[in-house]
Amino acid sequence: MTGGRDVLVSRCTSCHGRFLPRAGPCPYCGSREVAPESLPPEGTVLAATELVNPSAGWPSPHRLVLVELAQSVRVLAIASGPLPAADEVVEIQRDGEVYRVVAPPPA
Amino acid sequence: MTAHVTATGFARFGKRPEGLPELLVEAGEAALAGVGRRTIDLLVIGNMSGTVLGGVENLTARVADRLGLDGASGYRVEAASASGAAAFQAAAASIESGRSERALVLAGEKMTGLPTADVARVLALSLAPSEVAAGATMPALASLVAQRYQERYGVPTAAFDAVTVAARRNGARNPNAQFTSPVSVEEVAGSRPVALPLRLLHCAAISDGAVAVVLERGDGPARVLGLGQGFDAMMVVDRPDLTSFRASRVAARRAYESARLTRKEIGVVELHDAFAPFALIDLEDLGICGPGEAPGWFERTQGGRSGPVTLNPSGGILARGHPVGASGLAAIAEVARQLRGEAGATQADPVPKVGLAHSIGGLASHNFVEILGRGDRP
Repeated sequence: MTGGRDVLVSRCTSCHGRFLPRAGPCPYCGSREVAPESLPPEGTVLAATELVNPSAGWPSPHRLVLVELAQSVRVLAIASGPLPAADEVVEIQRDGEVYRVVAPPPA
Repeated sequence: MTAHVTATGFARFGKRPEGLPELLVEAGEAALAGVGRRTIDLLVIGNMSGTVLGGVENLTARVADRLGLDGASGYRVEAASASGAAAFQAAAASIESGRSERALVLAGEKMTGLPTADVARVLALSLAPSEVAAGATMPALASLVAQRYQERYGVPTAAFDAVTVAARRNGARNPNAQFTSPVSVEEVAGSRPVALPLRLLHCAAISDGAVAVVLERGDGPARVLGLGQGFDAMMVVDRPDLTSFRASRVAARRAYESARLTRKEIGVVELHDAFAPFALIDLEDLGICGPGEAPGWFERTQGGRSGPVTLNPSGGILARGHPVGASGLAAIAEVARQLRGEAGATQADPVPKVGLAHSIGGLASHNFVEILGRGDRP
């Protein structure tokens, strides 16, 4: 079963590594044989930072979170709310070409 | 290998009024002053973004014209912030192949002509588009790397502060450095946040500048002994481990293998410390220390001052400045000066016999290692 909020990833049919859909071969073994797979949108925060001086065109501060989903798939996601702490479990969702940390419900 | 460095030259790093071609010419003139220009048959220029940051095209012909090198061949080489190292390796390969006898390798960047936010955007052009789409910048990704390193090995941010303090201590002796004043731990730890745990003084500055190296067939104290480079996944999220850079490990292994020596023979290292934690990761990737051991090594050797390996005597990128395309060649130039006993106030004592230069391109997606030394060492 896959839910509508699941994150679409690629699974390498050769080395079974999982990664975000990308142009080019499997980043782990170089195989071009990949199949789509869905993963639950929840993941663990590996690291998070608040960029005081973002690139031109982004509001300051800009918060980025490195999230690890199941199967060791890592995602760089934008956080609009408070910066989550390492090891926190967060939900992410795709938004066009980026991923965002879903804001926690108000306490 | 059959090429060796015979001269170096610098156009001081910092905020400079000159444009990119003028900086390259200044460095080239400085290097050629001692050796002459008539026999230069190859001009290779390392530069990352002469077009966008420097506002100039057709760089090699422009500089050849200004330096009077109309009898030479040449081209520009790009490998992001390792462009200067890539230019050196291209020139060495040309001499090794027998096609060239004597090369002038130049590397430079003009960065202060644009506002900081625009420079950040241009530097991010060397990152994976999908990560740039999320607003990733060099400091943002470096911060994530730093946090993973800290978490894995239990490293306090004070270890990064110590890297900057040692860099600025060394840079204070380097007349070509952008920053020639030492800083205290308190100043580093109190500098403004950029992308915590990284603060301003943990990060490379935005710099203009250029450097030159004359590389020619023959043997001498700064002979090219080994070269290596390596790639890693463009997307940082595709790297299983952020506490080490695969591109550095591959580059180092290939350089050690082609030089037929081990890290135990290295007496001086100039590594790529665009962010203070990278100096620690680099030490481990280059085999100078084992995984997780760099903070302890750094403390024991007073930042590479008292141990068997002299570390970043030029002050490294944190003190020397970071005109991105120039930095890889600046590391090589400093190693060559050390081996030739020409490093002046930054000279290691005794004069080292073998040295290693290391350069990171992009967010460590294309890294380079060069090993120089005496061909006839025991």
